[in-house]
Amino acid sequence: MSSLRKVFAELLLDKGKLDPDLIVLVGDISHGLLTEFRSAFPKRYFNIGICEPAMVGLAAGLRIAGFNPVIHTIAPFLIERSYEQIKLDFGYQGLGGNFVSVGGSFDYSKLGCSHHTYSDVSMMAQLPRSNVFVPGSNAEFTELFNQNYKNNEINYFRLTENSHGYEFMPQNITSGEAILVKEGNDVTIAALGPMLKVALESSKKLAEQGIDAEVLYYHTFKPFDTHAIIKSIKKTNQMATLEELSIIGGLNSLAIEACAGILLKSHLKFAVSNFVRSYGNYSDMLIEAKLSTEHVVSEIAREIKK
Amino acid sequence: MADSLRIKILEMIVNSGEGHIPSSFSIVDIIDYLYSDVMEYNVNDISNLSGDVFILSKGHGAAALYAVLEKIGAISSDLILQYGKPKGLLGGHPERFKNKQVIASTGSLGHGLPIASGIALGGKLRSNSSRVYCLLGDGECQEGTVWEAANIAANQQLNNLIAIVDWNGSAKQLMPCEDLEARWKSFGWNVIRGYGHSYSDLGRAFSQVLNNSTSKPSVLILETIKGKGSKLVEGHGAWHHKIPNQEELNSIMKDLTNE
Repeated sequence: MSSLRKVFAELLLDKGKLDPDLIVLVGDISHGLLTEFRSAFPKRYFNIGICEPAMVGLAAGLRIAGFNPVIHTIAPFLIERSYEQIKLDFGYQGLGGNFVSVGGSFDYSKLGCSHHTYSDVSMMAQLPRSNVFVPGSNAEFTELFNQNYKNNEINYFRLTENSHGYEFMPQNITSGEAILVKEGNDVTIAALGPMLKVALESSKKLAEQGIDAEVLYYHTFKPFDTHAIIKSIKKTNQMATLEELSIIGGLNSLAIEACAGILLKSHLKFAVSNFVRSYGNYSDMLIEAKLSTEHVVSEIAREIKK
Repeated sequence: MADSLRIKILEMIVNSGEGHIPSSFSIVDIIDYLYSDVMEYNVNDISNLSGDVFILSKGHGAAALYAVLEKIGAISSDLILQYGKPKGLLGGHPERFKNKQVIASTGSLGHGLPIASGIALGGKLRSNSSRVYCLLGDGECQEGTVWEAANIAANQQLNNLIAIVDWNGSAKQLMPCEDLEARWKSFGWNVIRGYGHSYSDLGRAFSQVLNNSTSKPSVLILETIKGKGSKLVEGHGAWHHKIPNQEELNSIMKDLTNE
């Protein structure tokens, strides 16, 4: 299966042909994958250099000049390092642009904390006129990009390197709408982006223990689909949220806020509560952050009220 | 010297109780000269990129920009009267969202030059012959993004971009840089020096910019005096963001009207 980054490069090539204003700025990553785009549109591809905040400001200037910028680099540098530029140069000015990151959470699992980020998604959601997407598969990214990239708003697409492996039909992917992946009665497991994999694995193992979990999937963080979670929680009255984001301001925060006033029999939150300092593979990161299937299953099995 | 513009700036700031008088007095002659004698634009559509555009990166000098925009007829006197007021469109920093005459909102230092570079790059890509002017403070040149943008603009050969440094000595109070010219030159810019309170010297400096036949972006490093026009507010002290009382106002007015 192609990586999301490869799909991104192919999609840009298609969009570049359709949209003469689409312009791509990269911070010295993905240039190999974008070779074809650069060859096709040499005047609309810039590997700017190692200077992310100014690259964002430059992109705002290009938007003022009528271009539709796609700004691409590693998540902590694109969002956290450049946040004031995104906030002021795009947000305050009322300009639109497409921010596409790789390496969110601990995707660069062997590179250490400097390349990790757990706050980028909630930071981007803070901005007025922003939309925040955490696609977990190729089809989701393609659909969400197609539906939004020309909306003249601030769009953030966070490309995972660890797809959840579940294939959705394009017609079932709508920006801002959660997807009910598996119906169940005992507990709602709400998962964001790549964490759908852990959610589905967990629901299978829980079924072996007689626990019937409902799996609700979010590819869009903002606008947040409150109706889907409220509907599910009203049925199960028990919630578990699964995300690779910080426990502060992430999926759990949005879900619990949406369900305010509904009495929950149990509430489990699986999220990142500290820097993940060890090295290893993505699966090792999940274990350290207490996001592994084994941990999720044992916690839900222990806490759930029958 | 534009003393009538300084009086306008003073009226606006005293009327609203908000503004940076010395910073505005430092740059008003430069902005006046730019809009009056250098830039080509349609006064009814001054943000149209088919003409030259100006970004005030040191946004706290906004009153100077507004006074000039009123003088050239780009904004109305009514708008000026609402400066800093609850329902007014003009505030202590230029804002694009509310005013089509402002091409980029500024306020946080170090944002103008990257944006100006993007507009200049866009102009080149569209084969537009207009220029982008961006005024920065010398203190602002301590911001990292100024130099990130300086790198980018030189690398992208943006010779349609002209930075103007209001060298009023603010930087010297904190982190002195005696040879600002060498610094910009080392970043690959075409550097022109001048004095920011003399129209004849500004004329000489800007004509050198307009005759730039290299692919380099240009920077005018213009020596200025913070608070120029009134001895009371001149310099780097308490007057940076102070509103004068009646007695002080009389003193400043006396200086400006040469009584």
